[in-house]
Amino acid sequence: MIPLTVICGYLGSGKTTLINNILQSTKKPIGVLVNDFGELNIDEQLILNQDDLTIALTNGCVCCNLNDDLGASLEFMLDQDIDAVLLESSGVALPVKMSNYGSTWPGYNLNQTITVVEGRTIKDLLSDKFVSKTVEAQIIQSDLIYLNRFSTEDVELISKLNSEYLVDDEKEILYESIFDIKNLLLKSKGLPYEDHNQLKSDVLQINHPIDEKTILKFIRENPGIERLKGWISDSDKNTWLVQKTRSECNFSISNYETISRLVVIYKDKINLETLGI
Amino acid sequence: MIEIFKAKSVITVNPSMPRAEAVAVRDGLILEAGTLETLQPWLVNNEYSINEQFKDSIIVPGLIDPHLHPSMAAVLLPTFFITAMEWKLPWGTTPATKTPEAYDEALKRACTNPTHKDLFITWGHQELWHGPISRDRINSIESRKPVIVWNRSFHELCMNDAALDYLDIKEEDVKNASQIDFVKGRFFELGLGFAIQKLNPFILDPEIFSNGLMKLKEVVHFGGQTTIADMAVGLFNFDNELNAQKLIYENEDTPFRVELVAHATAMTSLSGGGLEKGEELIASLHEHNSHHLKFGKRVKLFTDGAFFAQVAQLMEPGYIDGHQGEWLSTPKQFEEIARIYWNKGYAIHVHVTGDLGLELAIDTLEKLQFEKPRFNHGFTLEHFGLSTPEQVFRLSKLGANVSANAYYLYELSNIYANYSVGYERASSMARIGSCFREGVTTGLHSDFTMAPAQPLMSMWVAVNRINEKEEVMSPEERITPQQGLEAITINAARILGLDHEIGSIRSGKKADFTVLSQDPLTIDPIEIKDINIEATVFEGKIFDIN
Ligand SMILES: [Zn+2]
Ligand SMILES: [Zn+2]
Repeated sequence: MIPLTVICGYLGSGKTTLINNILQSTKKPIGVLVNDFGELNIDEQLILNQDDLTIALTNGCVCCNLNDDLGASLEFMLDQDIDAVLLESSGVALPVKMSNYGSTWPGYNLNQTITVVEGRTIKDLLSDKFVSKTVEAQIIQSDLIYLNRFSTEDVELISKLNSEYLVDDEKEILYESIFDIKNLLLKSKGLPYEDHNQLKSDVLQINHPIDEKTILKFIRENPGIERLKGWISDSDKNTWLVQKTRSECNFSISNYETISRLVVIYKDKINLETLGI
Repeated sequence: MIEIFKAKSVITVNPSMPRAEAVAVRDGLILEAGTLETLQPWLVNNEYSINEQFKDSIIVPGLIDPHLHPSMAAVLLPTFFITAMEWKLPWGTTPATKTPEAYDEALKRACTNPTHKDLFITWGHQELWHGPISRDRINSIESRKPVIVWNRSFHELCMNDAALDYLDIKEEDVKNASQIDFVKGRFFELGLGFAIQKLNPFILDPEIFSNGLMKLKEVVHFGGQTTIADMAVGLFNFDNELNAQKLIYENEDTPFRVELVAHATAMTSLSGGGLEKGEELIASLHEHNSHHLKFGKRVKLFTDGAFFAQVAQLMEPGYIDGHQGEWLSTPKQFEEIARIYWNKGYAIHVHVTGDLGLELAIDTLEKLQFEKPRFNHGFTLEHFGLSTPEQVFRLSKLGANVSANAYYLYELSNIYANYSVGYERASSMARIGSCFREGVTTGLHSDFTMAPAQPLMSMWVAVNRINEKEEVMSPEERITPQQGLEAITINAARILGLDHEIGSIRSGKKADFTVLSQDPLTIDPIEIKDINIEATVFEGKIFDIN
């Protein structure tokens, strides 16, 4: 049986970052399934995993989608030599529903459901006209709540989350201001953990034009960067695919959207000043 | 050569000349509607013939179903229908089966004939009427042949021992699965996904799928329709859907045209790029256009979950039992994607079922109107299950159209009043009268197989608002027979942006007619659904219905 971990959380909460961090923390092969609605198939490309172990899918409701991509991918993963599967859900998926993949699909068992909550947006989301109920349900229904980008001053909000949603004794909120992957993995029996020199990962979204020169400067200033991948959009609205390994950095013209998003894997700390974010 | 179709009466749905006695047609186009006398100027110097086949009948504009799903229908039509409601199909009427005993009897009679290679699949089971289904129950009816019972809502199926064997589903594989009840043989939600994975070779078998599309051709003709819209091409597999439809429908025996509307997110995935690549791909689809099948500048988006499955998103106070609806798009991304198509001038069709799903569509339209005002833009709210009067007011002011599934009211209003949303909201589902009062262009669709592909049935529900328990639900929301006929002709044409060509009988439009035995505007409205459809005329050519 392959343990399946479901990762929920609204758009931009940091699910991809969490997945990259889990992948960086181990050398064991982990399958990743990214289920969005096919609207922004970008996240899947920002997951730094062995290529054939990450699959993007666009599953909808079973009654209007008899070609069950997710089911087919789960079958595919059964034949791979992997230790665990991470299922990244769409921003509006409910943990209770997604957890059924772990508890229903033959060959899998459910490890746990994790909902990623982002500190800067959670207040607004919990009063949003359309998604407040969904985001609330994501928090209530998940086994583990992972707080992302919370500052220590957010104690008030955290204790509110605690008192309002932590009804179940077994549920736990990890409220580090950055991802505490080690802590997460130790608490999670279904995810492999090896205590080797730990790399961190982050997804950077840049909302202003940015060019090759700036990226190269950013890399020079931050020798801790191990890998960098993503898209940048310059002031002429050209989009470039950026790929940096330890030895070289390539830029190639890409037909992607005019959106700048980069995933960065690094040791210690990075300084984002040059990027203006 | 000019052909004059004489009728007892022609209902033109042209407000400037609502009635006529004859229509002159040449090369598939209407020259004029009028009387034999008023048509004379066309006839003096031209060869003509007078066709009296319909002289005792009523001619109305060819009926239009602006939203159904040929590929879903192609999967479903090869199955055997045993349903709580009556379904009229070209090959026979499926009677209403309303008790568990009647269900067992119907199943016993039916399952001697396989529907798919060696499998028998029946569709339409509803626990509320037919009692709980289980492996043992099917075994007791048919123990040797593989039998699969598929729920009316699509969200569950049940198999007998022989079917489990046949599909090689073993207890040890599925015994711990939370959404598979192996003992009872039931597969629901994700368990259903697993079962369908096993069934796909049968239900998506190209031969059976083509056969399903052929059957849909009969169904569409039988319902008196001369135009339908495939309101989400790309649902399963874009190329397969398009090619299969081309193969089956692109010939002179097909008595209707299909307006194709692409599924935006499916096309984004297919483009391999992002939202803008998806739009470019959709913009290029007109290259596939042929005589019967055409893409226009329109696109399909989704907000909330299915109405039949009770996953529509509701505003307060929500569902009686407190369960949550579902989003089919993340609201923020819905807005982003709608903006791209709005700014490029598309008519956007949005699947909305609950009032909160509708609210998202209306709020988005309001933002887009503020950013880039457009007129006669064709933004259309599809299904329109639950709504509020205030939403009807707003959508009217914003220039949106409504394409409603009135049949929800017929089949669901009683059970939804008792078990889902309460009487007040259930009685006003498909709030169509308000739409007409606010001047909203309002059409009716079947979303087949959510409702029968019979526009006269949809019209009957909207005019009478009678549900299957024969209660009248919110009579204030009824519309007149005239409005009902407009909803399945000219308004449906407007919703598809085809009103310059079809939807009424007037000089210059395509000669698409539906021929009825009775007058739908003067008959007792309660009989509208039972009006006999004698024939259709598609671009001047007669297609009889036996
Ligand atoms: Zn559904
Ligand atoms: Zn539909």
